[in-house]
Amino acid sequence: MAAFEYRQAEEIRDVFARHGVRYLFIGKSAAILLGFPDTTQDADLFVLKSPENGRSIVAGLRELGFDLNACQAAEIERGKDFVQLKNGPFDLDLVFAPDGIERFEDAWKRHVNVEGFPVCHLDDIIASKEASGRQKDRESLPRLRSFREYWLRQRPSGHR
Amino acid sequence: MKPGETKVACGAIPAEWLAEFEAAERRPLKTRFRYAFIRTHKPVLDDASYRSFDTMEDYRRWCAKNLPDWLGYGRV
Repeated sequence: MAAFEYRQAEEIRDVFARHGVRYLFIGKSAAILLGFPDTTQDADLFVLKSPENGRSIVAGLRELGFDLNACQAAEIERGKDFVQLKNGPFDLDLVFAPDGIERFEDAWKRHVNVEGFPVCHLDDIIASKEASGRQKDRESLPRLRSFREYWLRQRPSGHR
Repeated sequence: MKPGETKVACGAIPAEWLAEFEAAERRPLKTRFRYAFIRTHKPVLDDASYRSFDTMEDYRRWCAKNLPDWLGYGRV
């Protein structure tokens, strides 16, 4: 499996838009979209948990080339809290209930659009990493918090 | 600067990080992508093509039980 590429992010954006999928980039991949200089392996998507969105996600994933059997499709449609996909052209994590964020709609209100990519606000990215309590997140948080400070300074006051 | 001191500029942002943030901002998104996403094999985690968890707590527990500590997925 090759590394995740910009072209593949564009495919997610375009295919999910066609299928009306409600989602946000979250995690380190989202921070990178916002300009955070770091490395990661795959993309994490915070997806709205609803039957309609679940069906749209499955249709979109199949169009992207993910090989989902009926059982897997049903799980995604039903909305597990976390789904890890390595059966497609790139690795993708679907997070239906990220730690530290109460509701999708709350994150959507705060989200940032980066060249057409819907991205969680840095405050939500940081909140989810703080709440996860993982060693690797704990280690990345000081630099991420510093980046937040920098990023907010670069943004117009009405877009923070 | 004395040995052991951390150079701090622009408020509380360490100067080295600030320079990295500024350099990243000058690069187009496509370029940032090219250098941000890397591929290395993560044992256990990468050994299944599909996994799902009813709750995040289930996922965290699975990570703690099955993944090597050095991957950093364990809780602290």
